[in-house]
Amino acid sequence: MKRLLVGAAIAGTLAIVAPARAEITVCAWGTITGPDALVNGMTYGTRDYLEYLNQTKGGIAGNKVRVLMLDGRYKLDEELKVYRRCADQEQAVVINGWSTGASKALRDQIQEDGIPFISESFASEVLDPQKYPFTFIAGPTYEQQMIIALRDLAAKGGKRVVLMFSDNEYGRGPVNVVKQSGIIEKLGLQVVDLVEYRYDAQDITAQMLRVKGKNPDLVYVQGSTPQVLVALRDAAKVGLQAKLFVGNLYNISPAIPEQLGPAAEGFRAVQTYAFYGDNIPAMKEIETYAQKNEVEKKDIYFIKGWLKGKVIAAAIEKVIQKNNGQVPTDIKTFRKAVRDEMEALKDFDTGGITPPFTYADHQGSVQARVAEIKNGRYTPVGGWIDAR
Amino acid sequence: MQMTMRSFFIGLALAIVFALIGYEANRFVAYMIYAVAISAIGALSLNLLIGFCGQITFAQGALVGVGAYAGGILGNAGWGGLSLLGAGVFGALVSMLVGLPALRLRGLYFAISTLAAQFILSYLFKILQPLTNGVSGLVIKPLSLFGRPVASDQEYAVICVALLFLSWAFIARVMQTNVGRAFLVVRESELVARGMGIDVSQTKLKAFLLSGFFAGLCGGLFAFTSRLANPEAFEIGLSVDQTAMIIVGGLGSLTGSIVGAAFVTLLPEAIERLGELLPSADLVSAFREMAFGILIVLFLLLEPRGLVALARRFGMRGESASSVTARLGTGVVQSGVAVSAQNRREA
Repeated sequence: MKRLLVGAAIAGTLAIVAPARAEITVCAWGTITGPDALVNGMTYGTRDYLEYLNQTKGGIAGNKVRVLMLDGRYKLDEELKVYRRCADQEQAVVINGWSTGASKALRDQIQEDGIPFISESFASEVLDPQKYPFTFIAGPTYEQQMIIALRDLAAKGGKRVVLMFSDNEYGRGPVNVVKQSGIIEKLGLQVVDLVEYRYDAQDITAQMLRVKGKNPDLVYVQGSTPQVLVALRDAAKVGLQAKLFVGNLYNISPAIPEQLGPAAEGFRAVQTYAFYGDNIPAMKEIETYAQKNEVEKKDIYFIKGWLKGKVIAAAIEKVIQKNNGQVPTDIKTFRKAVRDEMEALKDFDTGGITPPFTYADHQGSVQARVAEIKNGRYTPVGGWIDAR
Repeated sequence: MQMTMRSFFIGLALAIVFALIGYEANRFVAYMIYAVAISAIGALSLNLLIGFCGQITFAQGALVGVGAYAGGILGNAGWGGLSLLGAGVFGALVSMLVGLPALRLRGLYFAISTLAAQFILSYLFKILQPLTNGVSGLVIKPLSLFGRPVASDQEYAVICVALLFLSWAFIARVMQTNVGRAFLVVRESELVARGMGIDVSQTKLKAFLLSGFFAGLCGGLFAFTSRLANPEAFEIGLSVDQTAMIIVGGLGSLTGSIVGAAFVTLLPEAIERLGELLPSADLVSAFREMAFGILIVLFLLLEPRGLVALARRFGMRGESASSVTARLGTGVVQSGVAVSAQNRREA
């Protein structure tokens, strides 16, 4: 009994003397199930990085991070619901959302709530640091990815370009922006045709015959992986080689070489982050995490998620440092401070995932390189190209 | 189908309770309340057409979309609360057009024509760029009522619950009139309806008009609460979701429409919360996707008259599909007689 009392007294004293450790909630929703679940490593990566900090460093500045990974199912109503849960019920300090639609629908709400929000969308419509100071993305926009591919073509002396895109926002939006910007002409290139196809089309042989008739030097496909699979399959039918085609980040999928085999050889995609398995410092962290945990998604999208986790953690850590090592108790103040610190990140070391970046523009790195399928694997060809 | 004073006041009391909960609750709870209320208005609209008038339609998602775009465009133009009425009116007009083939077609053939309407409207949402902002979607300003914008989820919860109550009371009242009784007779047999002097074509068009109005209202509310109307939100999946609501709740039951909407809207959340106790997020989410399919098959096999009939089996009171169906044996004749008597009087 005496020991018990002494123990209780020591514990009580420690509780008074030691600074209280708070729990920090970060919310990440993705498409765990849904039409674009192929790329949901972006959500798993963020969760796993924050868990890695919990396991190796006791969280952020000694404060455990509670990470909520939720399923938005790529449905607008579901994502709006999840947002409210994260912002209100869970009192998350940072939210990592998903689709372009939800990011647009929520942008005024995000400003009113004053909550740092990282969207997985690369649509330029969601990015406006002046108008929407709490919204961030993590890389070059779709338009910038297209420009990177076109710059690569121009540097190699190509001229004739066909732009192919699906008949939804993801397809049409970026193509219209780039076309109207006049940059294609500035690069000395010529758009010889615009080819639109249904986003769920199962056969686009007719469109490929049209493309063949234009004799292009490059066909830029603004589509998702299933659409690129159909495009490359039908291109092969009419004798167009995969090396003519270039896609964006979301076309770096093992499914393309696996399903198309030799017909995929030469296909290129814009690579905005390092590959899973590359020899970079961030990969060492992932390997450490993988020793005790199962990494469910081993792809470039997981690497993007890991990068977002690093950005979130760095901003929160700076806030805690500036607040005398304490987590701010008022959630509004905490959120605002984290936003400010995110925006203030300068020459941020991403562990080799991207070149170091400054986050004042709310998108971080706008550099990318082109990766080509060689012997069934995506391989970088050439150095980093800046989209600015 | 009788809406007694008792059921009216029970409905009113429940509406007040949920409106108060929505007003006092946090934003997430308020969101869930108005999400259920909006879905329930859509389910009432669909049940009116399928459950009461027997006209199978697959165009519900697109009609909700028409309401969303109409409400959004009018709201952005400064119509305030009238934009919700406008959403209903546009929904009703387009629904009449969707229903026109019903004058010549029946059963599966008509259902396929509504499927075509769904695809045509979805396509129009994408290509009518100046009106709908095409595939990018239309960003919508908050609903303005009495000169001030409705900004909070709590206020939307109150508005949606109030409109759900009014929709429910109005449809229940319609079902007590000759028009409502004519719906039931047409559902049971067009031949019998004609024999009773009912103008079948006009009756069907009235059903489409009424149903379309509430589908449009549902869309208008969806637009103002989500602040975005984009074509992808109003595809065939939405029609399927709302059909699931009336199958689970009870075909031909107003209460069933609301119960079904609540069940289908809240079930994924309940599964997600339960699943968070388990280690595998993928597995739980996949189960959530399957749960709808499994439930619908189970209901069709075990209790096709839905949750309301199930509640009745366990002794809970309330209007149900079974009571409607049970009454129809004699009710069709009675109502048919009443309608034909009315027609004779009008003649």
